[in-house]
Amino acid sequence: MRSKDILNNKPSAAVAAIPITIILLPVLYSIFTFAFAQEKKGTEQFLEMPDAVYTKCVRDTEYMRHNHWVLLRVVREDVVRYGKRGEISLKRCGECHTSREKFCKKCHDAVSMKPDCYGCHYYP
Amino acid sequence: MDRRDFFKIAGGTILAGTSGVYAIRRLTGSIPGSTVADSPLTGKKWGMVIDLSKCVEDCTACLDACRYENNVAFHQDERWDVHWIRKIRLESKIGTTSTEKSVILLCNHCEKPPCAQVCPVQATYKREDGIVVVDHHRCIGCRYCMIACPYNARYFNFKDKEDWSNTDRPKRSHGVAEACNLCAHRIDLGELPACVEACSNVGEGAIMVGDMNDSGSEVAKIIMAEAVKRLKEDLGTEPKVYYLGL
Ligand code: SF4
Ligand code: SF4
Repeated sequence: MRSKDILNNKPSAAVAAIPITIILLPVLYSIFTFAFAQEKKGTEQFLEMPDAVYTKCVRDTEYMRHNHWVLLRVVREDVVRYGKRGEISLKRCGECHTSREKFCKKCHDAVSMKPDCYGCHYYP
Repeated sequence: MDRRDFFKIAGGTILAGTSGVYAIRRLTGSIPGSTVADSPLTGKKWGMVIDLSKCVEDCTACLDACRYENNVAFHQDERWDVHWIRKIRLESKIGTTSTEKSVILLCNHCEKPPCAQVCPVQATYKREDGIVVVDHHRCIGCRYCMIACPYNARYFNFKDKEDWSNTDRPKRSHGVAEACNLCAHRIDLGELPACVEACSNVGEGAIMVGDMNDSGSEVAKIIMAEAVKRLKEDLGTEPKVYYLGL
């Protein structure tokens, strides 16, 4: 008798919302932290440029912060596959951000990512 | 809520989520990639001529220059040594007379490179100007190319080189296949490959590199006029390294 009752009772939207919320929680969390971190500009403290050669980066800071890897990947393709050796290169990065320890490593360590550029490319 | 509604809501949420990610990607900006059409390499075809009569037997200037320029992993241990260019001794016996010759070997930059045909990830490929290059970022180290190459021009990087001899150029880390790239980085800047430069620096000039499509170039003239030979021509790989006096 009881089990039949449960079958006839359709679950309410509120009940369905609970598992959906649980599933979406990590997604929402990352979206909120992403938005929040941008307001705080928390990465500023990582950037040290004691011996900068240029006054300006090849792209603006906001772009470089999130998309430097896209840029490097496109430039890599340009150089290796199509022989277009332009002004952007890992070597040029090193002319301002002179130390890998003080620049690349700080952010990448914070998010525990290991770029494998330096197995082959020289960066002091 | 019945099952239908649940799926509708769930589906809608996933759709909104993925399109949101796409929108974020669009907003953060994109850079257009390159196409073959606007490559500066089209129309050229780099080739090499090696004049063995000028090559001095014990000279290693070109080998040393190449190892220095390209940070080639040379440990002086034949188990791990990588050679982009090397010298071997050839002996030919006809009747009772036998002659010995020392020959420079390197990647022939085949016009129909078997190494590029077998590479499963297209790490090895022929550039528009005919130079066969390995994109070491892509290479997965399967070594198919080493088996496919009929000239044994490819070597596998078993052991990292510890430091850079030339910090302007990358070295290769363990687990990729490598071969001569005709100093593509120098050619792009209008310079000559390191071996060519070294050979003319010691006063021999046995190695020449030039654009074979340009009939005025030294290389094209020699190929037109002299009795040049290529290695294993019968295989149809159409190598672009020509030997004089082989
Ligand atoms: S010589 Fe070997 S490595 Fe060079 S292009 Fe030909 S097949 Fe490829
Ligand atoms: S070893 Fe690297 S370059 Fe050679 S076929 Fe495999 S992936 Fe391609």
